[in-house]
Amino acid sequence: MFRQGDVLLVPIEGSAVPATAVPAPRDRAGRQVLARGEATGHAHVISGAGVRLLADRDNLDRLFVQVDEAGVLSHDERPEVAVPRGHYRVVRQRRYAPDPAVPPAPGQRR
Amino acid sequence: MTMAQLAAPAIDSAGGLDPLGAAAAKWTAIGLSTAPADRDTAAEAVRIAYTSVGLPAPKHVVWFDSPLAGARAAALLTGRRGLPGPRGPESPPGGDLADLLQTQGCPPSPGSAGVSVRAAVRTEPWTAARDQVRTALGPDGWARLWTACGAEVWRAVTDHVAAPLRAHLRAVLPPLVGGADPASAVLLEGGGGQHDAGWLAAFDAAEPSIMATGAGPTLVRAAQRLAGLGGLARSAGWWWPYADVAILTERPGGVERDNDGRLHSATGPALHYRDGFAVHAWHGEPMPDDLPERLRHITRRRILGEPDADVRRALLEHYGYGRFMREGYGHQVASDDCGVLWRAPLGDAETDEPLLAVEVPDGDRTWWLRVPPQTRTAREGVAWTFGLAEEQYRPLIEV
Repeated sequence: MFRQGDVLLVPIEGSAVPATAVPAPRDRAGRQVLARGEATGHAHVISGAGVRLLADRDNLDRLFVQVDEAGVLSHDERPEVAVPRGHYRVVRQRRYAPDPAVPPAPGQRR
Repeated sequence: MTMAQLAAPAIDSAGGLDPLGAAAAKWTAIGLSTAPADRDTAAEAVRIAYTSVGLPAPKHVVWFDSPLAGARAAALLTGRRGLPGPRGPESPPGGDLADLLQTQGCPPSPGSAGVSVRAAVRTEPWTAARDQVRTALGPDGWARLWTACGAEVWRAVTDHVAAPLRAHLRAVLPPLVGGADPASAVLLEGGGGQHDAGWLAAFDAAEPSIMATGAGPTLVRAAQRLAGLGGLARSAGWWWPYADVAILTERPGGVERDNDGRLHSATGPALHYRDGFAVHAWHGEPMPDDLPERLRHITRRRILGEPDADVRRALLEHYGYGRFMREGYGHQVASDDCGVLWRAPLGDAETDEPLLAVEVPDGDRTWWLRVPPQTRTAREGVAWTFGLAEEQYRPLIEV
């Protein structure tokens, strides 16, 4: 697996890419963006020969990368990452937040 | 007039830009605009919206500075409440509705707005346009269009701004318009204006893609149906269409968002209008109006004494997990090549969920990642942030 900042590419079998995956939205410059900071404007972008970013059209937060030859993951503030041939699941880093809708453990409050 | 004529050009084919991405960016900007309303364009768009469905244009087009004031005016002009009294020190934002209506030539008479025409000018044209575009593109084509253009705008504008705004209005309106039901009914009679960008984007973007399929005339008809709504989106905020009066409102004076696009501000309202109506939020969670004041006078004691989990999280994040831990409240639990796991009790150690965070060095910066309270190692904590188990998290390259 390959990590660039708060984005992780986890290798998967090609068969694990859902049948409902379609080409993911591109930004106005035509780039394939895995994640973008709305405030900073910085983006994690995948590019290269035979590289496709796919989104599950039933849940657009589920992103997949298909690399037929060789891909490059780039970002304004981080080194590039070479991504070899294969299929990947895109995971965006999250942070824990107590969920008021979920009861805390017995005897505990948040 | 078509929507494309009402909106600035999105496509620059010579520049190699992606037309759908460009349309999404353009409509996101429309949805988040904080420019003063273009009142002439909006009034013309109202006329188009009414007359294109066979309705006469409304007798009056009146303006207010916020959706709160617009909703109060709608409640008054539909007879859901009596005339408000003169403005006093406790008056809600929006000022004296009767005065504001009088000065715009609209008698402030309860019931004078006439019936709601929202279904005729908004719902029905939208449904018809959607059916036309879906028929022209087919289910898969429509899904691809929505995926490539509409969904992102919907998230940025509808989910992250309009929905919290609506929830806030639902909370503050009832005492102003008389109970929960009139407030809900008034909100259901409104249109989003700029906040309709989420669904208008896909119709605008459909134009070039449909043209390529030879279904251009169908698309033009669909776009023409939405010309009035497109014009309103591009020029004004929320609005209320009634048979005799159209109540229009200004766009916000400011929208503050976090890096995920959610409403967020530590120093003032995350969303505010020029009449003082405002929404406070912390990473998308609604917050009390005195949040900025509380953040300015934050202490560890106040953090620990805060009973509301969401507010306490805001106070903690603003104070800084590292500062909180290092000032004696936390201790190191474990350390490995992923970082250092810290733990601190919050409130009563017997009854309160403890705070756990991983300190992660990253070049000349340090990140603090809050992780679930049952975390045992730094690696387990970092793995959790990517939805993985500790043994699964093995990046070959990490930069």
